[in-house]
Amino acid sequence: MHRFAHELGNFATWYNLAFVVQAAGYTLALSMIGCGAGFVLGFLLAALRLTSAFALKPIRILATVYTEAFRRIPFLVTLFLVFFALQVAKIDVSVFCVAAISAAVIETAYLTEVVRAGFEAIPCAEWEAAAAMNFSLRQTLAYVVVPQAWKTILPPAFAFFLSFIKDSALASQIGVVELTFAGKVFNNRGFPPEIAFGSILGAYFLISYPLARLGRHMEKRLALSGNL
Amino acid sequence: MNYTLHFGQVLPYLPYLLGGAVETILLSVLAFAGGMVIGAVGAAAATWGGATTRRISGYYVTFFTNTPALVQVYFIYFVLPDFGIVLSSFNCVLIGLVLNSGAYLTEVQRAGFRSVPRTEIEAAETIGLSKFQTTWHVVMPHVVRTLYPALTGQFILVTLGSSIGAVFGVDELTGRAFGVNSETFRAFEVFIVTGLLYVGVTLLATTILAWTGWLLFRARVRVL
Repeated sequence: MHRFAHELGNFATWYNLAFVVQAAGYTLALSMIGCGAGFVLGFLLAALRLTSAFALKPIRILATVYTEAFRRIPFLVTLFLVFFALQVAKIDVSVFCVAAISAAVIETAYLTEVVRAGFEAIPCAEWEAAAAMNFSLRQTLAYVVVPQAWKTILPPAFAFFLSFIKDSALASQIGVVELTFAGKVFNNRGFPPEIAFGSILGAYFLISYPLARLGRHMEKRLALSGNL
Repeated sequence: MNYTLHFGQVLPYLPYLLGGAVETILLSVLAFAGGMVIGAVGAAAATWGGATTRRISGYYVTFFTNTPALVQVYFIYFVLPDFGIVLSSFNCVLIGLVLNSGAYLTEVQRAGFRSVPRTEIEAAETIGLSKFQTTWHVVMPHVVRTLYPALTGQFILVTLGSSIGAVFGVDELTGRAFGVNSETFRAFEVFIVTGLLYVGVTLLATTILAWTGWLLFRARVRVL
């Protein structure tokens, strides 16, 4: 116990704090870039799956296969898949970039489904009304669907962002210096694992818990504001 | 880009990788089963428990759902030996996954318990069923049918999550993929095959679970 208190004293330095804060920054940046790109691409894929042109059929099928497949592959495997795919393509980018691209790859798959579910919540009659007024797909989405659907899309999309913050821990395995990697560094520097990983658990909690509360608050507010 | 894919060197390892897939299923079934037990207890505590048990259940869920499973397993893996408990990596990962999925399954099952109409429980009370009988005959069938699709999804998430076993040297699908990679150096091909195997395994699992759910509880689960 005495040794533990002693180690804790050694651990609590400004340098270590700065290191953890910086690592937390990478965790957040990774999640935000990955989910931001995933949301944009997911929206595009969901919109693409609504098209009806015969010529686009192969692309629609590809989009469906993509969303179904990448929601069934672990993030760890996706990370290595992207890592080696970039190597094969001789694209030389940092490991952070590799992790961000992997994040975008899986979040696109998940968020396509979220956006699609949001689109599907819009009553058929509204789609038909838009079609009757000769709205193009872009106009239908912009003036009819999105202004209503964002309320159904936002809470689950935010939930995926939150759960990705935790999944991003796996990026430590390809060498991105984010929170989990910081924990490994502390552990390797000889701090007791209770402190090394305990502090990292605490850091994740400090990031994730307020965001989870915010998400729940947002969900309640949006539910209260009346749907459609 | 002049890279040719050579699946020929990876294919001989396919049975080995399939063995890893079996290990993945074993790990995730055990983790899910353990998580279900913890989840049932946690959800029961949160729904019918006193103030203290409710709070404990809440703290448990809040802590485990707001931190990554990987770091939880790291913690268990490195801290338990300090207390003289030395477990295999499989058991460490299993404990971590059980605790982690237990928290999510508490949330899922709690939502299910709340979906039981108040009147049905009152009806059960009126005809003199004990608390256990009410749970078994009234609450459970209701809960199972409404929860089944959510639980199926959670099982798939546990299966995908079990890949962190590879980090700790567990011999499951991802772990074996690392092994094959270091033997063949056909990294890209190995991970394509591994990815496809995961898709296959989880699709198979969803299909089986959807059938079972339909046959046993008439619960509808969307496979694709």
